[in-house]
Amino acid sequence: MIGASVLFLCLGTALILIRALSGPTLYDRVLAVNSVGTKIVLLLGVLGFFMERPDFLDIAILYALINFVATIAVLKFFRYRSFQVTLVRRDAGDAGGR
Amino acid sequence: MNVGTALISVGLLTMLFVIAVAIVRMRNLFAIVMLSGTYSLISAAWFVALDAVDVAFTEAAVGAGISTALMLGAMLLTSRTAKVERSLASLAPLLVCIATGAMLIYATIDLPALGSVTSPVNAYVGAEYLARTESDIGVPNVVTAVLASYRGFDTLGETAVIFAAGISVALLLGFGERSLTASMKDKSGRGRKL
Amino acid sequence: MSEFLSTISEYWTVFRPWLGAALSMLGGFLALVGAIGVLRFPDFYTRLHAASVTDTGAALVLIVGMCLLSPSGLVFVKILAIGIFLFLTAPSAAHAIANAAHTAKLEPVTGRFGSPGENVEEHGG
Repeated sequence: MIGASVLFLCLGTALILIRALSGPTLYDRVLAVNSVGTKIVLLLGVLGFFMERPDFLDIAILYALINFVATIAVLKFFRYRSFQVTLVRRDAGDAGGR
Repeated sequence: MNVGTALISVGLLTMLFVIAVAIVRMRNLFAIVMLSGTYSLISAAWFVALDAVDVAFTEAAVGAGISTALMLGAMLLTSRTAKVERSLASLAPLLVCIATGAMLIYATIDLPALGSVTSPVNAYVGAEYLARTESDIGVPNVVTAVLASYRGFDTLGETAVIFAAGISVALLLGFGERSLTASMKDKSGRGRKL
Repeated sequence: MSEFLSTISEYWTVFRPWLGAALSMLGGFLALVGAIGVLRFPDFYTRLHAASVTDTGAALVLIVGMCLLSPSGLVFVKILAIGIFLFLTAPSAAHAIANAAHTAKLEPVTGRFGSPGENVEEHGG
């Protein structure tokens, strides 16, 4: 049953990865990367029980923190640089902003 | 390694391959930075599946945390998209990569078999460390004991070097107050409200 | 009474691993459903909905399952710490992403069901 859980989490990560690769807007990519991070944290925990060595959960804790910090850093980065003007097209006349 | 772990490894490696191909083919630098963060997350999960926990720890801290922030900072100083290269000019790096990979694969033939008694890992001081760590130091993880106690001064020097390098990179890229106020001034106070 | 309690605790020791494994599987399944939603939904805000709801919900179920599976107190505390971190960080990260997209005037897809939405696209890509 834990094997099934590992399998589901791997499949979910792969599906969200497709969204991260194809995602039309920048925010889709940020969302997908954040979601992949959460799924990897859970996968690490379940993997510990699957391999019957659940002593290595420290890495999952580290990931949970780093994932949050990375998401907030990215969002803060393109708020202060006003990324939205250059990367998201509002209308055709704004295309020279890049 | 049992069948389940092998299947997980194959699945994670497939994801890594797909991400690598996507990174090569993409032109949007921001998407590349995000994908490289994902790459190191997934590769660290793979390291855990291979029981290389310390490597996974380092990969999580350095690959997903620091290097994403550094690449974002570097992107501040350059453009948002990569230039389109001529297909002929990208041939030389491809050849270099293929040659290096072939040499590395050729070198693995000379490696001793996994768990071989006569390999350098098992023949010299490794067994000594394994036998004496419990009584000398009392730390359950032998790698931690070697790094932090047997070779403590070594580790102290490395930490000092890495700390200095990190500070100088941060100064060069201009993180923190200076770049923030500069970018606020760019937008004539609009950023302050947000 | 004490006999009843000891019977209960015997049942609990037998059923705890099974319950934990079942909850883990359920959580993994919920995460997979959320991933399908992220892949299939039409625009950014609906995808955000799918991702954030399942990231907290599936994580809750999985973490309760792993707590039931944990062999020792230290592992239990570590899993609890992961759960608390995820519960603090996942909703705030989702809020930050939604707030950034809203500030950037990213429009949701509106209109009748089935009509092609005019979604905003990024440059390059």
